[in-house]
Amino acid sequence: MMAGIFAGLFFFLIYISKAHSYLSDEPETCVNCHIMAPQYATWSHGSHREYANCNDCHVPHNNVFNKYFFKAKDGMRHASMFALRLEPQVIFIHEAGQEVVHQNCIRCHSKLLLNPKLVSSVENQKVHATDRLCWECHREVPHGRVNSLSSTPNARVPLPESPVPAWLKEYLSE
Amino acid sequence: MKPVSHLIENRPWMAWLIFFVTIVVVFLVGLLASSVIERRAEAVFVNVPKTEISQFEPRNAVWGENYPREFQSYYQTADTTFASKYDGSRMIDMLEVDPRMVVLWAGYAFSKDYSQGRGHFYAVEDIRNTLRTGAPTNDTDGPQPSTCWTCKSPDVPRLMNEKGVEEFYKGKWSGLGAEVVNPIGCADCHDSKTMNLHISRPGLIEAFARQGKDITKASHQEMRTLVCAQCHVEYYFDKHKVEGANYLTFPWDKGMSAESIEQYYDEIEFSDWTHSLSKAPMLKAQHPEYETHSMGIHAERGVSCADCHMPYKSEGGQKFTDHHIQSPLNNVANSCQVCHREETAKLIQNVYDRQDKVIENRDKLEIMLVHAHVEARKAWDLGATEAQMKEILQGIRHAQWRWDFAAASHGASFHAPLETSRIISTGLNIAGETRIKLSRLLATLGFNQEVPYPDIDTKAKAQEFIGLDIKKLKEEKQTFKQNVLPKWIEAAEKREAGYSQKVEL
Repeated sequence: MMAGIFAGLFFFLIYISKAHSYLSDEPETCVNCHIMAPQYATWSHGSHREYANCNDCHVPHNNVFNKYFFKAKDGMRHASMFALRLEPQVIFIHEAGQEVVHQNCIRCHSKLLLNPKLVSSVENQKVHATDRLCWECHREVPHGRVNSLSSTPNARVPLPESPVPAWLKEYLSE
Repeated sequence: MKPVSHLIENRPWMAWLIFFVTIVVVFLVGLLASSVIERRAEAVFVNVPKTEISQFEPRNAVWGENYPREFQSYYQTADTTFASKYDGSRMIDMLEVDPRMVVLWAGYAFSKDYSQGRGHFYAVEDIRNTLRTGAPTNDTDGPQPSTCWTCKSPDVPRLMNEKGVEEFYKGKWSGLGAEVVNPIGCADCHDSKTMNLHISRPGLIEAFARQGKDITKASHQEMRTLVCAQCHVEYYFDKHKVEGANYLTFPWDKGMSAESIEQYYDEIEFSDWTHSLSKAPMLKAQHPEYETHSMGIHAERGVSCADCHMPYKSEGGQKFTDHHIQSPLNNVANSCQVCHREETAKLIQNVYDRQDKVIENRDKLEIMLVHAHVEARKAWDLGATEAQMKEILQGIRHAQWRWDFAAASHGASFHAPLETSRIISTGLNIAGETRIKLSRLLATLGFNQEVPYPDIDTKAKAQEFIGLDIKKLKEEKQTFKQNVLPKWIEAAEKREAGYSQKVEL
């Protein structure tokens, strides 16, 4: 019986936390935690929306095992912080994440980095373009500069709706 | 591996261990599940509006409960301290600044009173106060039709929904005095459910439709101009479309240039009034700001009205649209300097330079028009016939239309300096040609001298010259404000007290 309760709770936990959605690349998954709303809102108002979802930048793409290992590691950290209410008012990216994002900038924009025309015409172009993180200069890309939990008060973000199924609500309201 | 039952058989304490470990695990998983439930439930309460806003809610303060930053910045349109060289947010008696206008508008309400407007916050107050709306004594009295309310208030979409559009355009201005009380605000541009920009009045939608354009296809950036274009445009009251109604219509069927609109009016033989001195069938340009703006370089580059007049601002780390709609000259940092890297003083000087140069020629055209009106009156006095005057009056009509198109579209000398200068120069040309015809006619009638330019140095002198009894008009207005206006306000308060949403101020 205990095993039954345990299994039941386990499946309930999967349902209520939308655990299955974490296997996908959908940006909506990231706002399962509502504190990610400013990140979602700022991304969805920027040009990257058209070409890149959250995972394109925030998980590594050098090989598929690394991708899911990093995603699981990062995800576990985020989930525990969220469940234990340890999130800070302003969320900053950690070093491991920075490296991943930086490599992903290069993955798509490598041609900009070592554009022969720029290298030959702009003084120290190669040094300035390669000895720092991209967003030390491109500070507004793609989330803007300020990302406190309350920086986008009225943004329309697809936050998870009530988990109670519609039929049950209807039944209960009768 | 041995079965569990076998293990327990030998060591009974194992059963108890498994039992208690399971209890602890289920307890902890339960705690985790409830934490997840709790945090997920929070999502339902993120951004839950404080109050319900109904579709036609006219009271800006109700919207303000949900959107305090936007509302508070909107409320700053009540500030009247900013003055630029020619405009700003203060009220300027334009007839005092430029008494020639009194003569140009002789016989029309604008000669009584014309002030450079204040912010949206004063829309209702100022239309009640102007001498142009007269001093009605009851619901069916007064010089102006109900259509004059159209652009003044979010009560208008509400009334159009309640009464029907055609019914709204029927009757007198005074008939809706107790209904239209909230100044231009939220519901004029926003949809109450999505907060998307929307067109709340039929005039613009109909004008687009007649040109074969579907306004619902407009992009968000275009909407940031089009919501303004519901009102900041040239329009006229079509008395033929619906029996007994003054149907607000935009004359854009042939295009939006001064010439196209003039041609449109000529073909339907429309005139706003007959000039009391020259008897010319005149046109009054209202405020073709959208039209002139769209002929300028900023529109060409895709800059919207809101980009400069309601730029984004940041407050406490939150970026939002500044709803303090005002002259960008009072906020150069957030408007001009987003694109232009020059000093504030330099940018302002660039604006003034354009305004100075445009107004220089506009004033010359004005003087020529005053001459033309008094010369035409002289010709009538000397016994000129309708046939002799026909072309001359048409010339006066066209020249003054061009002057008004440039003068009434307040920002035009900056929005589209080149086009505005061009319009004024065509006006100067027509006025010059017309005055040559006039002097020939005067000579034919036996008068070969200069018709003296009237002494219109001040507003008072000019109004006396055209025969206006301003003192009487002011007294009547005072009576209206003492007797009628309080009843309007009282009736409106009573009506709004019955609304389901209450406003706490």
